[in-house]
Amino acid sequence: MNIDPIVGIPPAAAGALSAQAGEAQGETFSKFGTWFGQQIAEVNGQLQRADANLQQLALGDANNLHQVMINLEEAKLSFQLLMQVRNRALEAYQEIMRMQV
Amino acid sequence: MDYSQAFEISASGMTVEKLRIDLTAVNIANMHTTAGADGTLFRPLRVVSRPGAQNFAGLFEDGSESSVYKLRGAQVFAVQEMTTAPRMVYEPGNPSADATGFVALPGVDHVSEMVNLIAALRAYEANVVAMNAAKNMAVKALEIGGNQ
Repeated sequence: MNIDPIVGIPPAAAGALSAQAGEAQGETFSKFGTWFGQQIAEVNGQLQRADANLQQLALGDANNLHQVMINLEEAKLSFQLLMQVRNRALEAYQEIMRMQV
Repeated sequence: MDYSQAFEISASGMTVEKLRIDLTAVNIANMHTTAGADGTLFRPLRVVSRPGAQNFAGLFEDGSESSVYKLRGAQVFAVQEMTTAPRMVYEPGNPSADATGFVALPGVDHVSEMVNLIAALRAYEANVVAMNAAKNMAVKALEIGGNQ
């Protein structure tokens, strides 16, 4: 029975492998990053709209009160969703950092 | 977010009920007004509401028959003047009294206006409760998997 000796990965192949891994990782990271950035921008826009609505209400320009309140609630809900996504991402990161090596 | 649709539906109901309250207030405010300079007497106003029309895009994308009945809020169809007979009150001293001393007042039914007021208020509250229920569902959904 032949047991193959342990052969180190040839440097060229190793380089290619790590480069590939790095690329893939970078891509997914940037995808998640851009997605998260977009979500943050969207929530920020919603919060700004709610703020503008509140200002209008204070000035007496708002045509109906319940629309302002609903916009506020929506902005709050979106922000809570964003926070939960952020919590999950952070949890995953901490889980990985706790990993024994 | 898909919850915004529930909010929109409730908001449409609130808009209708708000208008109902406004018109009831108008009716009550004009309960004792006589005919204006143009000679027309105030007529009590009523809201006519109907299911909101689905927009064209919604119908186009979702061609199933059941889609016609779902997810439509309320909308104001018209504000109608009621054709109730004016109330004739004997008031000879009033400048707008006719030859026999009677003054025509709008036929506002005070009791039914008060009932309308209460009904509109309760309907508005029900819309708020429905909206809050939808919001609570969303908040509960966000608690999934959270570490309490």
